[in-house]
Amino acid sequence: MSVDTIAIVGTGVAGATAALTLRDAGFDGRVLLIGEEPHAPYRRPPLSKDVLRGSMPDERTRLRPAEHWATKGVELRTGARVTGIAADAHEIVLLCGETLGYDRLLLATGGRPRTLPVTDGVPGVFTLRTLGDVPALRDALTAGTRVLVVGAGLVGAEVAASARAMDCAVTVLEVERTPLARVLPPVIGVRYAGLHRAAGVDLRTGTGLKSLAHNGSELVAIDTDGAESHADVVVVAVGMVPNTALAETAGIEIDRGPVGGITVDSQGATSAPDVYAAGDVANLPNRVLGGRQRVEHWMHAQDHGAATARAMLGQGTPFDVVPWCWSDQHGVTVHITGWPDAGDEVRLDGDLDGMNFAAEFRRDGKLVGAVGVNRAAQIRLLRKEIAARTSSEAIA
Amino acid sequence: MSGYRCPVCEYVFDEREGDPREGFPAGTAWADVPDDWCCPDCGVREKIDFEPMEVSR
Repeated sequence: MSVDTIAIVGTGVAGATAALTLRDAGFDGRVLLIGEEPHAPYRRPPLSKDVLRGSMPDERTRLRPAEHWATKGVELRTGARVTGIAADAHEIVLLCGETLGYDRLLLATGGRPRTLPVTDGVPGVFTLRTLGDVPALRDALTAGTRVLVVGAGLVGAEVAASARAMDCAVTVLEVERTPLARVLPPVIGVRYAGLHRAAGVDLRTGTGLKSLAHNGSELVAIDTDGAESHADVVVVAVGMVPNTALAETAGIEIDRGPVGGITVDSQGATSAPDVYAAGDVANLPNRVLGGRQRVEHWMHAQDHGAATARAMLGQGTPFDVVPWCWSDQHGVTVHITGWPDAGDEVRLDGDLDGMNFAAEFRRDGKLVGAVGVNRAAQIRLLRKEIAARTSSEAIA
Repeated sequence: MSGYRCPVCEYVFDEREGDPREGFPAGTAWADVPDDWCCPDCGVREKIDFEPMEVSR
């Protein structure tokens, strides 16, 4: 069967990169790029940093100039929600009732912020994931505003740093013992705790949000240690939930375990014929460490979207790109690559306390991850070393 | 000839080497790189964010 139409659901970087990759790979059929968000594809990483602080106009987050999509022959439909997939009929259904046929379908539906039941319906509570989330939060963060950030993951820690830069009074609650615990081992996490405290953030670790209420003039939070704090704004940054409902309703296999996501093989194919998934939502094999994973970083979404697009055209190779991300907080940039958590040995080069170091994480003597502050070039090389291992040792 | 570095990932565009995979042959002047070109490695910063730097021979 020839491939005439490829539909992509989701205008985040995975879907958008996939659309452009189809063209780069020579596909000259119809490319539909459909997303719920009202904006053309844009970059999410600056949202919690420059865009929130107001130092980068929203306009500059666009992934490509507005006319680029039409120039490339990509039919971009923003503000359009896909409500159903008829996998047997090879059709998708839009909220407006329109039905579109496809020969290949890519689900790049990403995720949504995880929420907390205790903040349900309380005014003054924000989450941050999309460009549409920014203006109201940015307007609320004026000098002197008391901000309570729940969660010190990448988004929470960056929002806390941005709010401090905007002269807000910032308190952060984190249930783990150290901030950024999902991406940084404790030995480095404690330095980040110090960095935030030195910048004036009231960082409270080992405690979560127990209750929250608005008393008419301010928000009153009680944490799990019983401590009370008062805030004008609460930002909930406790991770994301992959958007799997569309796939699940269509009978496509999803992961029921803690990792979640749409189950795909090493080339992005789901359990349904001609349906693929990429980016944050995809639960894919980890070809270095074994097992399966979901990766929630910008670079992964970009790389996985591109690789899956090629696979949809029959030009795929098993996906083994090593994850890589960075974070800017209080003027310090950290780069993280691979899977530092998987290491059983740390080799340190540089000065941890001086925040100028590269840490190599090894398992059985082999490099599995690296974290660097002020060492981007070195991390770049270490990532290549992990990748070289992937191609020589990984099993399909 | 000079180099320009991405502030996010430290990818360096060296005018002497260009970046053939991006369509810029060796010797491409920075001025000839389009303004909407973004970092080929991290994809997150555009040309105007790049920082000039010395490149040694």
